[in-house]
Amino acid sequence: MPGDAEVTVRSIRAGDFALPTATCLPAVHPGIDPPPVLRLPLATHWPAVTRIELRLDRPKVGSFRFASPASAPGAGGAAAGCPAAPPPGARPRRPPRTGESPPEDRRVRVTPPRDVVKLSEKFFYLLQPDLETTLQAERLEFPRPPFPFQLEGMAFLVPRHAAVLADEMGLGKSMQAISSIRLLVRSGQARRVLVVCPKGLVSNWARELGEWAPELVVAVVEGDQERRRWQWSLPDVPVKLVNYEVLVRDRDLVAELGLEFDLLVLDEAQRIKNRGSHTSAAVRSVPRLRSWALTGTPVENSPDDLVGLFEFVAPGQIDRSMTPRTMGAAVADHILRRTKDRVLKDMPPRLNRDERIELTAEQRETYRLAEEEGVLRLAGLGQEATIRHVFELVLRLKQICNFDTATGESAKLDRLAAELEEVQASGRKALVFSQWTETLRRLRESLGRFGALEYHGGMSTTARDEVIRRFRHDAGHSVLLLSYGAGAVGLNLQFAQYVFLFDRWWNPAIEDQAINRAHRIGAAGAVTVTRFLATDTIEERIDEVLRGKRDLSDAILSQAGTTVAGGLTAEDLFALFKLAPPRRAAA
Amino acid sequence: MEDRGAFGFLTVVDSPTHGLFGGYLLVDPLGRPLEFHCTAPVKVSRAQQILYGPTLHAHLHGDRIGAALVAEATVTPVVVLTDVEPMLTVRSRLGQPLALVRPCDPLDQPVDTAGFTIGAARVSPHPGDQGDEAFLRERLAEFGATVDLREPFERIRAAIDEAQRH
Repeated sequence: MPGDAEVTVRSIRAGDFALPTATCLPAVHPGIDPPPVLRLPLATHWPAVTRIELRLDRPKVGSFRFASPASAPGAGGAAAGCPAAPPPGARPRRPPRTGESPPEDRRVRVTPPRDVVKLSEKFFYLLQPDLETTLQAERLEFPRPPFPFQLEGMAFLVPRHAAVLADEMGLGKSMQAISSIRLLVRSGQARRVLVVCPKGLVSNWARELGEWAPELVVAVVEGDQERRRWQWSLPDVPVKLVNYEVLVRDRDLVAELGLEFDLLVLDEAQRIKNRGSHTSAAVRSVPRLRSWALTGTPVENSPDDLVGLFEFVAPGQIDRSMTPRTMGAAVADHILRRTKDRVLKDMPPRLNRDERIELTAEQRETYRLAEEEGVLRLAGLGQEATIRHVFELVLRLKQICNFDTATGESAKLDRLAAELEEVQASGRKALVFSQWTETLRRLRESLGRFGALEYHGGMSTTARDEVIRRFRHDAGHSVLLLSYGAGAVGLNLQFAQYVFLFDRWWNPAIEDQAINRAHRIGAAGAVTVTRFLATDTIEERIDEVLRGKRDLSDAILSQAGTTVAGGLTAEDLFALFKLAPPRRAAA
Repeated sequence: MEDRGAFGFLTVVDSPTHGLFGGYLLVDPLGRPLEFHCTAPVKVSRAQQILYGPTLHAHLHGDRIGAALVAEATVTPVVVLTDVEPMLTVRSRLGQPLALVRPCDPLDQPVDTAGFTIGAARVSPHPGDQGDEAFLRERLAEFGATVDLREPFERIRAAIDEAQRH
C-alpha cells in the first residue's frame, strides 16, 4: 500500500536450525535489525567401521611316522624310523652345552641322549612307552623284579651308542646290560652283540645271560682255533661271548671274517684304560655301532684312565689336554654311576650275591683226582666207613677249591683280588671269611697291596684289638681276613660294606652271624655279601642241600640222633658222594 | 581302512608364551608309537576371546586344532581318546568313537553313570557313542591291561615341550 515501509523477509532454509517464530519476524519496524540465523550441521561424515577377524585359521601340522618294530628276537635290522646310527668308527658329535634333562617322572622313561639333535629322533624316544609298560607289553619276565634304579640304568643304556655304566659293585651292572641287550634285540635295533669279559667271568656271564635273557641264543667263543672260527662265523646267534685274551688272539680272524657288531659290551672295562695295550687295541679294532663299557672304577688312578676308556666308548670325545672339569662336562651324558648310599631306598639293607667260580685247569685236575681217589676209598671201606671219613674227604676237596694243593693256584683268589681293586678304589672296606687259618694266612700274603689284616681266635686279645683299631682308622687297610670261629668275640665292624665268604660254613646261621658283624645297627649303608662257590664241586652240592633245608632246626639234628657238623645229616654227607650211609654210621 | 590294533590320543597343551599346541599320537596295542602329529602354536586375540565367548574353546579345540590333526593321520584307530573336554567337538570329523579320559581314584564312586573305569582312568564316551559303550569297554580293557590310558598324554606333552625348546 502506498506509504508502507519496505518489508524484508528472511527465509528459513532447510538445514537451518528451527528457531521459535517469535524470533523470525519480518523487519517491519525500521529500528529493529533482523536477528542472526544460526546454522548448525546435523552430520559431517559416515562413521568408520572396524572389521574384527573372527575366523580361526586351521593351524599347520607337523607329522612324524614310526615303523612298527620287529618283535622276534634277532629279527630284521634296525627299524625304519629309528634314529640313524653313526657309521662305524665315526667320531661322535660333542654334546651341546645347553639342554636340560626332562623332568623326573614316577615312570621310568627312555630319554634321548644329549647328542641326539634332530627333532624327529628326539620324538622317537620321547613317544615310546615308559619302561615298565614296555616290559609288561613284551611279557619280559625276570627271575627277580628289577629295582627302580636298575630300570633307570636300562633307560640310560638303551638309547645310547656310547655309554659307561659305572655303578658301584653289587648293584647289578651285568643284569642291567643284559636286560638292555634284550630290549634292543627284541625291538630289532641290535642283531649282533658281542660281550667281552675277563676269562674267569665267562661262565658267570653265560649263566647270567641264561637267567636274565633266556630267549636269547648265546655262543661262547672258546676252544681251539678251528672251533673258534666256526663260532665267530655262526650267522643267527644274537649274542656272542668271549674273553679278552681270546679276542686279542683272534683280532685278525675277526677282521678276516669281516665281522661287525651292532653292540659291543666290555665287562671290567678298566682293562683297556691303557690305550697302548694289545687288549685295548684289539677291542677298539672291532667294528661296531654301539660301545658300552661296564666298570665300577672308570677312573682308577688318573684322568688318563678315562681317556683310555673313551678311546673305545666314544673316540675323540675327550683328550689328555682337557682339564678335569672340561673332561667331566664332555662325558657327563655318557656315564651313569650310582652308589649304594644313593639307591639305598630302593635296596634291601643286605644284598646277597653268589659268585660262581670256575676252577683253573690245574685246580680242576687236582680236584678230580682227589675226589675219585676219596670216593674209591670210601666205597672200599664199606660198612667201616664213618662220618669222620666222609668229613675228611669233604674238607680236603673244599681246601682244593680254595687253593690247588699241588700248584698253589686259586681261581677264587684271582676273583677276590679283582673285586678288592674296586673296593679299595672306592675307599670302602671289606671283610673276608674262611674256615681255615691257613687260608687266611695265604690270603694275607697275596693281598698285601690291599693292606690285608688277619683276625682269628689264635691271636691274643691285645693283638686282635690292635688289628681292629688299624682296620677301622687306617685308610691303607681295605680288607680284614677273619675266621668264622672269631665270631664268638663281639665285633663291631659296621663300617665295612663288603663281606666275602671265601668258603662256606656248614650252617647258614653261622654265616649270618659272621655277616652281621658288618650288617648291624649303625651300618652306614647297604652291605653287599658275596659268597664264592666253585662250580661243579662239592661246594655246589653242599649249597644245594643247605638251600633245601629252609628250617634251621631241621638242618641241625640228624634223623638217627647222631650229632653231625651243623646243617648236614649223616645221610646228607654220604649223599654228597652218592653213597648210602652204613647201617651204623659212628661218629 | 581301520587298523584294528591302533589307538589315538588327542590333546591340547596351553603354553603361556606361545599359545595352544595340539598333539595327536597313534599307538599300537603295545603302546608303541605309530604316528605323531602336532600343530604349530595357535594364539587367539583378545577380541576373538570376547566375541566367541564361551564357544571359543570348543570351536578352537575341535573345529580347528583337532580337525587339522585328525586330517593328517594315515592310521585309522579303533577309538580316539582325549583328556580335554572341549576337544569332544572333533567327533563330527571322526569315523571312530571318541571318549574323554579323566584320572580317577578307583576307590571313588563315579560321578557320571555314562562311563566306565579302566585302571586309574575314567572313560566317558562321547554322547553320540554311548551306544558303543560295550565295544569300547571291551577294546579299552584289553589295551588298558598293558597301557595306562592316561600315560600316552604325558608323552605328547613331553614331545610338545621338546618341540618348544627346539
